[in-house]
Amino acid sequence: MNKMFEFAIRRQWSGILAVIIAGAIGLSIVTPAFLTSFNWFVMLRSVCVSILVAFSQMVMLGVGQMNLSVGALGGLAAIIVGGLMDAWGWPALPAIAFALMVGGVAGFINGWLTVRTGINGFIVTLATASAFAGINLGITKAVPFYNLPSNFLAFGNGKIGFFPILLVVPVIVTFFLAVFFSRSVEGRYLLAVGGNSTSAELSGISVSRAIVISHVISGLLAAAAGVLAVAQLGSAQPTIGADWLVISFAAPIIGGASLSGGSISIVGTVIAVLLVGLIQNAMVLLAVDPYWVTFLLGALILVAVWINRYRAVHLDVD
Amino acid sequence: MRSCLNDKFSRTPSRGIADLLIRGSARFGLLFILLVLWIVFSSLSPGFLSRFNLGSMFRSVAVDVVVGCAQMVVLATGGMNLSVGAIGVCAVMSVGYFLQVLNLPLPIAILATLGVGGLLGWLNGVAIAKTGVNSFVVTLASASLFSGGMLILTKGVPLNALPPALGSFGRMSFGPVPALALVTIAIGVVLHIAFFHTTLGRQILAAGANARAAEMSGIRVNRIVVVAHSLSGMLAAAAALMLTARLGAAMPSVAGDDWVLPSFLAPVIGGTALSGGEVSVVGAILGALLVATIRSGLLILQIGDFWLQLFLGVFLLAAIMFERYRATLMLRQQVRRL
Repeated sequence: MNKMFEFAIRRQWSGILAVIIAGAIGLSIVTPAFLTSFNWFVMLRSVCVSILVAFSQMVMLGVGQMNLSVGALGGLAAIIVGGLMDAWGWPALPAIAFALMVGGVAGFINGWLTVRTGINGFIVTLATASAFAGINLGITKAVPFYNLPSNFLAFGNGKIGFFPILLVVPVIVTFFLAVFFSRSVEGRYLLAVGGNSTSAELSGISVSRAIVISHVISGLLAAAAGVLAVAQLGSAQPTIGADWLVISFAAPIIGGASLSGGSISIVGTVIAVLLVGLIQNAMVLLAVDPYWVTFLLGALILVAVWINRYRAVHLDVD
Repeated sequence: MRSCLNDKFSRTPSRGIADLLIRGSARFGLLFILLVLWIVFSSLSPGFLSRFNLGSMFRSVAVDVVVGCAQMVVLATGGMNLSVGAIGVCAVMSVGYFLQVLNLPLPIAILATLGVGGLLGWLNGVAIAKTGVNSFVVTLASASLFSGGMLILTKGVPLNALPPALGSFGRMSFGPVPALALVTIAIGVVLHIAFFHTTLGRQILAAGANARAAEMSGIRVNRIVVVAHSLSGMLAAAAALMLTARLGAAMPSVAGDDWVLPSFLAPVIGGTALSGGEVSVVGAILGALLVATIRSGLLILQIGDFWLQLFLGVFLLAAIMFERYRATLMLRQQVRRL
């Protein structure tokens, strides 16, 4: 029992998990609508996109940088995949591959600019975010793409039991990221650079390379999130990605990542996204003002950061 | 050294200009880019220099500069304030509430709104100083808290029945110079004096340049952080007041997320370092002017609303890179001379 308690207190995400379970039990008592399979389907489907968005930022936090262009990049990938299928009549798979490629290239541009110009990554991605959003608006003129192929829509709407098919993507991505960060040399390099870039450089790790690689991964993940968002909504809206900024930082930070880099938690990030999804779902079910979601998200970040701080100071764990 | 420089100027005028550009301050390079852009835009389209266009441009620059200053004050300490826009939303709705619902007289309403902004900024500062958490995270969270809380309270409904005096001040202008721009200049002068000629300003810069060293020299860094955030909140509220005057109505949708980009652009283009310890009020004004010039020029050339954001992003990267390049060149020349 004592051991279990110690394990729980040492895991950063254990508290959030407890809150989720308590919240789910509470909700199922308060509203019977919560436990319906349709509700679970809707909730899990909306979580899919957020997980990828959060991962996209988490990779950057791991290397000690930020990517403010996650939303703009996801939006660009979304309208590219939609535009290729609607206006140009491409089949789904090549369109998705092309959109992912654009995401990777855009991420490479972010990384290359950060490394080569020596300008702070924050400013670089702030500027490229404006550029990507500009391309998005320039292509679409703010008009969404609606005519998407039926197999693509089926992918977005399909379900197995109450699990949406879309959930396959975040599950696979989570697995690969976990292997990447815990078992691959490049992944360990990224975390080493995030932990202390000077000592990483002195140990023979190329900091520039690590930053570029993490930007490429971040771009790929943001593009994947954009494609999933199109599948989920059934149309390529130019506004996709516009409100991703807060959740992209909130989930990794609530999950226990540190802004100074080198420390991330994949499980924690997923659990944090689930918590936010549960809160959003609860607000809808209880017919509460949607502005409360914004408010609660802010409060959650503060509480999570404060708890992490408290743990670090009082329990001497890091 | 000085005479050798003068010799150079007299001998080759073209070299002289290049030399001046390289050796001059960051502000000088910016002014040069601005002048070039103004000449290009006004020769391509005479409408650029029309009174109407300049008036509307200066009005929006006036607000952007104050938004930029709100960010700059915190950048000076080496932190960030992502809640500038959220505090702006709160201030917009507060002034609407004070004027329309409580019927307070205008000066008192303005002071109270600045107080609200200062209070919200103070909350940010205290949260950062007490917990020692990165200012980015704290203000990201507080931005959600502030704007969410304000929208819950007001339901996001605009307040339109403000006293006409506010709106007419927003439209007033002396010749080509709008009254709002004068307010901005006044704020800029006060900030410049505060940063470069008062103890508090020097302490803020010292804390930003090297917090440890500042602490060792007897500066209470935590107090400085709280002061800088309070000031930032007040400036954000001031910008919100100016925006309300410009629009003649208190609309919650006008501030918010839209302010994050401009708030960073103006000071950063103007040479304020993200790492802290270096600010330039003049630079922030020139930076905001540059952004507004690009935006207005592209609009007048009918590049189209939609591509505008792309050009803005690219131009800004180019401007920052140009500035970097200039700084490196200058450094190299100085090294060569030694």
